[in-house]
Amino acid sequence: MLQGALAGLAAGGLYAVLAVCLTLMSRLVRVVNFSQSATGMFGCYVAVWLSIHIGLPTWAAAVVGIVLGSALSALLGWIISTWLAEADIGTRSAVTVAVLLLLISLSFILFGNKPQPFHPLLPGPAFSVNGVVVSQVTVVTVVLSVLIALGCRALLTKTSFGLELRALSERPTTAELMGIPAKPLAVAVWAATGLLSTLVITIVAPSQSNDATSLSMLVVPASAAALLGGFRRLDLAVVGGLVLGMAQGAVAQVDSLSVVRYFLPFLVIVGLLLWSQRKEVWDVAR
Amino acid sequence: MSALQVKDVTVTRGAGAVIRDVAFSLEPGRITALVGPNGAGKTSLLEAISGVIPAASGSVHIGDTEVTKHSRVARAKLGLAHIEQGRAVFPGLTVMENLKLTARTWPRVEEVLALFPELDKRRNSPTALLSGGEQQMVVLARAFAARPKFLLIDEMSLGLAPVVFTRLLPMVTRFAEEGAAILLVEQFTHLALGVSQDAIVVSSGKVTYQGSAQDLLNSPETLHSAYLGE
Repeated sequence: MLQGALAGLAAGGLYAVLAVCLTLMSRLVRVVNFSQSATGMFGCYVAVWLSIHIGLPTWAAAVVGIVLGSALSALLGWIISTWLAEADIGTRSAVTVAVLLLLISLSFILFGNKPQPFHPLLPGPAFSVNGVVVSQVTVVTVVLSVLIALGCRALLTKTSFGLELRALSERPTTAELMGIPAKPLAVAVWAATGLLSTLVITIVAPSQSNDATSLSMLVVPASAAALLGGFRRLDLAVVGGLVLGMAQGAVAQVDSLSVVRYFLPFLVIVGLLLWSQRKEVWDVAR
Repeated sequence: MSALQVKDVTVTRGAGAVIRDVAFSLEPGRITALVGPNGAGKTSLLEAISGVIPAASGSVHIGDTEVTKHSRVARAKLGLAHIEQGRAVFPGLTVMENLKLTARTWPRVEEVLALFPELDKRRNSPTALLSGGEQQMVVLARAFAARPKFLLIDEMSLGLAPVVFTRLLPMVTRFAEEGAAILLVEQFTHLALGVSQDAIVVSSGKVTYQGSAQDLLNSPETLHSAYLGE
């Protein structure tokens, strides 16, 4: 079971990074970005294609894919900031559902519906504890998720750029009236989260189910993790991602429960939503 | 310092015009009271000047630059500030963080806090925890910190006790003395006219009086008829 839990840490780190991205998007640009992992998936697929068909070295192709994922995300952010600047969060989020479906369809058309032959960027184990092997991918994703959360927190609380982002997220019109440029800042957030998502998917994709749908739907466990922090707290988003990944890994080790791992993110989402609404339910009952 | 000019501006909301062909200018160092009954179009006019909503026709000029098609950010960079109706604080930010957004330098933050001792005591409190009067002080202090050339103030007294509002008005006067041109929209008409040099009365979207604030204050009949648009 311990081996399973540790094996699940790599996925947990991936969920944690995506959850941090989702939390940042929700807090700073008022979007629940359902296409968060789909843009990452698309960037990775292009990287694999460049590596196989153009002959680019794996690392160079990965860099191109990461830049493309960031650019795609920035483009979507620019579109939403331009035409849906005053729209509510529901409308803005609905647009990202359309992009999610578009990117999955496009990847089927361009790359087929089979998993891609990814070359691992970080092959092999990092170390072992009592016979339990911990891979390099696991170490890197877990460390990355913690560093990204700490870095984002420092950026938001210690820099004038972060202060402007927080102001913009609370009262966009007031912030603009003070001369804070809403659109460039919003596009920067989209680009940064797109880059981080593509980077972490590029690292983890070779070691897990990597068909277009599976990678795009990573947004579901990431949402479950972000929900633990109420789409506000970065620390809880990281904890949520890591715990969810470990729980899935542990459950997968038990034959009678292994199928539950696929439903675990949904169970977490439903449980957290019900828990968050408990006061309203009790108030109505009274 | 140059003036802000509003030339024949019409503003529409839905199918109808809420402001029709309004023209005036704001001069440096002077306060202009913009008064009128509820629904006269005062807030819409301010929003059209600062770019929150577009003007249907007419033009807005800051100095020699026409800004009618400029973004809110571009207008702010030309020295225009707009204090919106209600308490437009950033509730999750502390008093200091609110001020740092516009002050840019620590000496300026300290300078502004010296004007508002109440805020100085609570500089690290989130503004969500402040009283209504203190929140309005934060908004005013934040605008002062930016040193704008033109300041539009919309119903600063909304939801405040008159005693709190009278504490804030001298700050507006002080700011004008430093050279800013101020357009003051206020429900407490007499208090607003008392600190203003110029006055504009709008009723049903049209200007019904434009002239000296003191003359309007000394002539209740004029004020009454201007409000009613007679």
